[in-house]
Amino acid sequence: MSRRSAIGLLTIATLALVWYLTTMPLEWISPGRFPSPLDVWDALRQVSTTGYANGVLYQHIVHSVSLVVLGFLVAAGTGVPLGLLMGASARAEALINPIFLLIRPIPPLAWIPLAILWLGLGDAAKIMVIWFAAFVPSVINSYTGVRTIEPAVIEAARMLGTPRRRFVREVLVPAAAPMIFTGLRLSLQASWTTLVAAELVGAIYGLGKILNVAQTDIYPGMIFVGMACVAIFGWVTTRLLAELETRSLTWIPLAEARP
Amino acid sequence: MAAISFDAVQKSFARSGKSFLAVDRIDLVIADKEFVAIVGPSGCGKTTCLRMVAGFESPSAGTVSVDGRRVTGPGPDRAVVFQQFALFPWKTVHDNIGLGLRNKGVAREERESRIAKAIALMNLQGHETAFPHQLSGGMQQRVAIARAYVLDPDVLLMDEPFGSLDAQTRITMQEELVRLARLNPRTVLFITHSVEEAVYLADRVVVMSRRPGRLKEVIDVRSVRVAEKWDRIERIEDVMDHESFIHWRTHIWRSLREEKEEV
Amino acid sequence: MNPVQSHVLTRAEILGYGALGLIAFLGLWSFLSLSGVVPHQFLPAPHEVAARFVALTSNPFAGATLQQHLASSALRFAYGFLLGAAIGIPLGLLMGWFRVLDEIVTPLFDALRFVAPIAWVPFAALWFGTGIGGPILIIFAGAFPPCLINAYRGARFVSRPLIEAAQMLGTGNLRIIVEVLLPASTASIVAGLRVSAGLGWQSLIGAELIVASTGVGFMMVQAQLDISTTTVMSAMIAIGLVGVVIDVALRALEAAVRRRGLA
Repeated sequence: MSRRSAIGLLTIATLALVWYLTTMPLEWISPGRFPSPLDVWDALRQVSTTGYANGVLYQHIVHSVSLVVLGFLVAAGTGVPLGLLMGASARAEALINPIFLLIRPIPPLAWIPLAILWLGLGDAAKIMVIWFAAFVPSVINSYTGVRTIEPAVIEAARMLGTPRRRFVREVLVPAAAPMIFTGLRLSLQASWTTLVAAELVGAIYGLGKILNVAQTDIYPGMIFVGMACVAIFGWVTTRLLAELETRSLTWIPLAEARP
Repeated sequence: MAAISFDAVQKSFARSGKSFLAVDRIDLVIADKEFVAIVGPSGCGKTTCLRMVAGFESPSAGTVSVDGRRVTGPGPDRAVVFQQFALFPWKTVHDNIGLGLRNKGVAREERESRIAKAIALMNLQGHETAFPHQLSGGMQQRVAIARAYVLDPDVLLMDEPFGSLDAQTRITMQEELVRLARLNPRTVLFITHSVEEAVYLADRVVVMSRRPGRLKEVIDVRSVRVAEKWDRIERIEDVMDHESFIHWRTHIWRSLREEKEEV
Repeated sequence: MNPVQSHVLTRAEILGYGALGLIAFLGLWSFLSLSGVVPHQFLPAPHEVAARFVALTSNPFAGATLQQHLASSALRFAYGFLLGAAIGIPLGLLMGWFRVLDEIVTPLFDALRFVAPIAWVPFAALWFGTGIGGPILIIFAGAFPPCLINAYRGARFVSRPLIEAAQMLGTGNLRIIVEVLLPASTASIVAGLRVSAGLGWQSLIGAELIVASTGVGFMMVQAQLDISTTTVMSAMIAIGLVGVVIDVALRALEAAVRRRGLA
């Protein structure tokens, strides 16, 4: 085991120990403020078996994760092509840019009240907000990806007489791919943040709903469970995207792997 | 019919609202299968001249023609080898070389055989499935040259192709290019900063003045080379030892220095 | 110049297309609203929103005028953001220098990183009630990571020769951090501040949607409950404007840093 992972493990173990000691035998932290490991375990059992906030844990997880993924796909599916178009066509850029600049400064979470007003507390409103949040990074990064292509590569493609469709498929998209993936990563992050926020404000079920109800019930153990689930599934989806990225970008030298 | 023809060509650029003249008045005719090198101080417009033949820029006045037809845009008949290689990093060596042929609609069997020949010609055997980042600078430039050659272009345009290579690799590539030019002669326009490189490689060397670029001198190296018989010699260091080589090299150096010192 | 866009537009053309796009957008909006295609209550016309925006600056809504709400939000944001920077930047620099610190903190940080800042709201409410501590915690959760990461990266990837030169001159650890790492990382840190401000402002709004009794986020929730779409949209515009101001200010900082040669 490398020194780095050893120290990491040690730190986490120490913290876990401190957590246990301060909340249970020593009671330095009152249970109303922060849950003890036992509290968390109890909450986890409860939500997984008998259920909490209208559902059992796996239902909440499935619901939230599917909304995130769906919202992300819609946002990426619209944002990336738009960004590529704006990068490749000066006219498209000039036409769309002002509208984009107007919408962009509005933080995604600020769309939540409007979404609730328009679409209520159901899934549609969540997808709308996720779309606004995740759309912008995809557009911007895809656009930048096209604009920063080495000019000589474009000229070489033109010199070789590459027709338009082939040019887009075999030159433009692969060249912009690294930045497109950066945009996708940011979009995924934005999707999670927005979903959790939207569910916190108002939802029927989902991880954010768990947090919401636990907050009203003053149930720290359950709050912890909710947060941990958000973190874990956020990590899982991010890793899946990273895997996809590595597999698609086989041609990048390892030295350019991002931290 | 001239392979490349510059007819009263001028080129200006607009930069931050002002226009400046890059190329002043070029009249130059390059014959079919002739190897012409252009040398000149930085900023003299030599690359611009090449880009006008390539079709990436168009002249502000005058005409640039290839085979009697005016140049209107880039195309595989005027293959370009770039200083920065400009290979597609996401394509293998094989696919990099093949793209131009696919664009021309060449059938698969013929394509594969032409790619194989180009790979053999440039000594790239064994690297067909490698990606550009896995290759050294010299090898990447070989791929770029193979990509150009495989198109069987009328004109080969080389923009300081060996400028990014280290000194040793550069010499190897120069010798290779001479070998290639003998095996497979075609019209070449070659831009370089290096006077030795120009005299070694070219049939004629064009010296440009500093900006705005004008033709200062045109030197016929070929007749000297044939008369002094250094076209029989293979190695650069032996060629460079010849008095006539040294004479012309120094002559061009002095000519360029005049351009630098007239400030 | 990037030749992907084969058309270069003049400034007039750019403005023209831009105006066209905007007019089309506003026109469509007005049409949908005024014609009743979308129920007017849900989509007020642009000019109605503008009118409401102005009205809110003198008529209080949900307890205060627009600028008063903005002021409370801005204050919370300032505290949280400065706290995030004040802890994140030094910690990041230290982590970049002392490998042990890096090894201890990074796993912790990685574990917490995936918790969206907004998910801290329940604990914030539990610990701070409706006091200012709650929003500050959440803003901190959003603003802290980019400050830390960028300071860390700046310090870690300082060019080796600089550090070696400092060491050769006998510079102690603390001085190296303050006089070498910090200036060398300035560009990265300022870039981090920009991202951090954006995330912090976002997190604030999110927090105010859930636990607050003043502030623009709170105002929006009240407006939503009242079904006053014009107010909701006015608040969104105000939030966007403040976001732009913050970003412009930090961009100016970035430019100033670049001009002083620290980038």
